[in-house]
Amino acid sequence: MNLLPSSASLIEKAARATPPSFVGKVRGLSDKAIAWIFIAPTLLLLLAINIFPLIWTIQLSFTNYRANRPNAPLRDVGLAHYNEILTNPDIWAAMQVTARFVIASIVIQTVLGFLLAWLIDRKFRGSGFLTTMILLPMMLSPAVVGNFWTFLYQPQIGLFNYIVAFVTGIPPSSFQMLGDVNLSPWAIVLVDSWMWTPYVMLICLAGLRSIPDYIYEAAEVDRASKWRQFWTITLPMAMPFIMLAVLFRGIENFKMFDMVNLLTGGGPGSTTEVASITLKREAFEKWRTGYSSAFAIILFVTVFGLANIYVRALNRVKSR
Amino acid sequence: MAEVVLEGVSKRFKENVAVDDLSLTISDGEFVVLLGPTGVGKTTTLRLIAGLEQVDGGKVLIGGEDATHAEPAERDTAFVFQQYSLYPHLTVYDNLAFPLRSPLRGLAEAEIRRRVSEVASMLRIDDKLSNPATRLSGGQMQRVAIGRALVRRPNIYLMDEPLSSLDAKLRSDLRLELKRIQNDMGATILYVTHDQIEAMTMASRIGVMDAGKLVQIGTPREIYENPLSTYVAARLGQPAINLLPRALLGDLPVPPGTATIGARTEHVRLTKANGAPRGIAGTINWIEHLGDHNHLHVAVGDADIVTLADPDSGLGVGDLVSIEFARPLFFGASGMRISG
Repeated sequence: MNLLPSSASLIEKAARATPPSFVGKVRGLSDKAIAWIFIAPTLLLLLAINIFPLIWTIQLSFTNYRANRPNAPLRDVGLAHYNEILTNPDIWAAMQVTARFVIASIVIQTVLGFLLAWLIDRKFRGSGFLTTMILLPMMLSPAVVGNFWTFLYQPQIGLFNYIVAFVTGIPPSSFQMLGDVNLSPWAIVLVDSWMWTPYVMLICLAGLRSIPDYIYEAAEVDRASKWRQFWTITLPMAMPFIMLAVLFRGIENFKMFDMVNLLTGGGPGSTTEVASITLKREAFEKWRTGYSSAFAIILFVTVFGLANIYVRALNRVKSR
Repeated sequence: MAEVVLEGVSKRFKENVAVDDLSLTISDGEFVVLLGPTGVGKTTTLRLIAGLEQVDGGKVLIGGEDATHAEPAERDTAFVFQQYSLYPHLTVYDNLAFPLRSPLRGLAEAEIRRRVSEVASMLRIDDKLSNPATRLSGGQMQRVAIGRALVRRPNIYLMDEPLSSLDAKLRSDLRLELKRIQNDMGATILYVTHDQIEAMTMASRIGVMDAGKLVQIGTPREIYENPLSTYVAARLGQPAINLLPRALLGDLPVPPGTATIGARTEHVRLTKANGAPRGIAGTINWIEHLGDHNHLHVAVGDADIVTLADPDSGLGVGDLVSIEFARPLFFGASGMRISG
């Protein structure tokens, strides 16, 4: 039991190991200076990987810069790119696809996520194990998920088609989830929901667990039915959490790229071409770096603006 | 309002016996206080009556009907929780109206408004009705919680230390108010507390609990003057009753079997001993000045006796005194009272 030195001797040792000159220097600093020293590395990193690229992108968006021709003469084009983007019907189509995608997946994920949380928020045998199982999809890499859902959706050998065929009786190869103009947007929404509903559930679960038991007990004694308890206690008190989940998923889905790129690449036609896919095409297929920078800035401002309006609403709900 | 009867009620949480074969009758219009330290089963008793816990044995009768296995809503009780159990997203008005809006009751909105404003003015929160419930001080929140019970006319009001989280001033105000309201409405109340002043001032009867059992029940006066055991005696009185070993008080005449002698602070008489003290002798070693009266701490052997004394008794620290007991209580070795 004497493997560990006593705490007193540990403190002594630690004190000895610190060179006195360093101690002197630290002692001379104010609390504020020490605080700055602690956050400086993070701040520098943020500047380097977030703020600097942002500023550079803004700068590039006013030029005709092309990343595949770095040595071509740089010309200032002013607001021409912005003008072109905002009047381009293809861009508006992509924005609409994105909006529909965001709304559909948020509705499905929020309703399902909240329902799952509500069901799992009661103590039963194996609830912990079940929670872990439900959270599994979220822990997988989007690349893995995208690839294996491509297999699942495969018309000839795909398990998804096979199961649908088994349930409905239509032949499995009679429909293509990823190749059909009407089905492919839903194919992506389905995969995204499969992957991210657990995340919404987790946040909702935190909300439900934050409601103290005695509020329900008070309602029980006050003769409120389970239905009324749900509408007057559970839902309003979990609302800030639900809204937070919607915010996170909304921002994520607006920027959604990996899953669409892996599953459909924007096709068939441009039915699943969300804004980020258009952006990728402009930036890395057509190499119009200046133009795509302008588009990226527009997307950023849109998300930022929407998120801000939303956060304001969220704060209003929270302060009630 | 109705009579509530517990018949040999027991409740166990795994290995812990919370309530042990407890029988208690709360008559219609009676204010019964359950007194005891933390963890003796007072709150569990309330929760068993409300139906928030299910009994393991025994019966709960409300208004003459067996409610042992009834749902909380069917029992029609009102519960005031120790925490401010307000509905945080509702206004004060909606909190107070919440129980009245139960479809089981089917009250018209005008009647609800009348009852809410009546209770709100009684509790002096009528200017706060449109406030959100969370934007209130602790005292206001607890008054809303009490109000939410009072808007109803349930079979019984169950109150679980409703005043314990309030400051002293508000506590004494609300204590009086609650007693007055109970008198006016003729309400049946079962009230749990560990505060003896609340018990003494409000109760029609006090029930003292120990380890899940009701050890004694009676009027505050009975409990104070005729405690059945040292445990009950020690629950009431501020400062606590002096419990002295028999051996300390050599020549005091006591009934046979006495192990402990109990003397309330106000029943200890001190006289300054000039020269050799008569009877039991002690030395004053500390005086607490409380303004209207003093507490004198008297050392007798290695025990410390606390007495109540007039501020101008003329006694000072270091004085040698002789001690007499006005109405001593005698307890046997088990702690039970021996009449004598």
